Amino acid sequence: MAIPPISAALPALPTVPTTSVGGPGAAAAGTPGFGDQISAALNNLNDLHATADSLAEQAAVGTLEDVHDYTIAATEAAVATELTVAVRNKAVEAFQEIRRMGV
Amino acid sequence: MGLFGAIQTSGSGMRVFRTWLDAVSNNIANLSTATRTDEAAFQAQFITANTIEGDGDVGQGVQVAGVVLGSAEGRLVHDPSHPLADEDGMIRMPDMDLSDQMTQLMVAQRGYQANLAVIERVRDAYSQAVQIGRG
Repeated sequence: MAIPPISAALPALPTVPTTSVGGPGAAAAGTPGFGDQISAALNNLNDLHATADSLAEQAAVGTLEDVHDYTIAATEAAVATELTVAVRNKAVEAFQEIRRMGV
Repeated sequence: MGLFGAIQTSGSGMRVFRTWLDAVSNNIANLSTATRTDEAAFQAQFITANTIEGDGDVGQGVQVAGVVLGSAEGRLVHDPSHPLADEDGMIRMPDMDLSDQMTQLMVAQRGYQANLAVIERVRDAYSQAVQIGRG
């Protein structure tokens, strides 16, 4: 029951150019763009799920020493997924709010 | 400490208590392991643990430092019918107290459950934090 990794389904996210906006953009020139941060967060989430999957395999085969290792990894993956979904919801909400502003 | 620091710390605690449970079960299984008087008796196993220092102020859990063996003297028991008895009819039994082992078993079990309770509370707290601003 292997779930394909998220990064395989996503095209590479475009990085937001930090100097295109002017004042706040110039101040943030040293920090990674929003796209980079989202990519990093999704890779982290992908790693958590991969860890949980490999521990589940070990548990099924019987080589897992500590039962709690697998359940802890599954819990971490679930909480991180919840967090990522909440971030996505907020971002979409903010985008829709801006779009509704009108010309 | 990271997003899941508390959960990892409790996981390390559970690992140590699980090792303690393994050691106690080994001791109890070998309660009647007799040896000859000229050999060492079965030695009880005790787990020693030390803390893991964290990068910042808060520590990051515990790890098994090693296994310490109990006394090798054992108790000399008179049992001439035992196949391992020497010419005086004595065999060497392990010097372990069953009540002491059962106490350790209960403490290890409660320690394991306490760490489990920490993980569940932390997970509930984080899940509720994710709900902020929803709806």
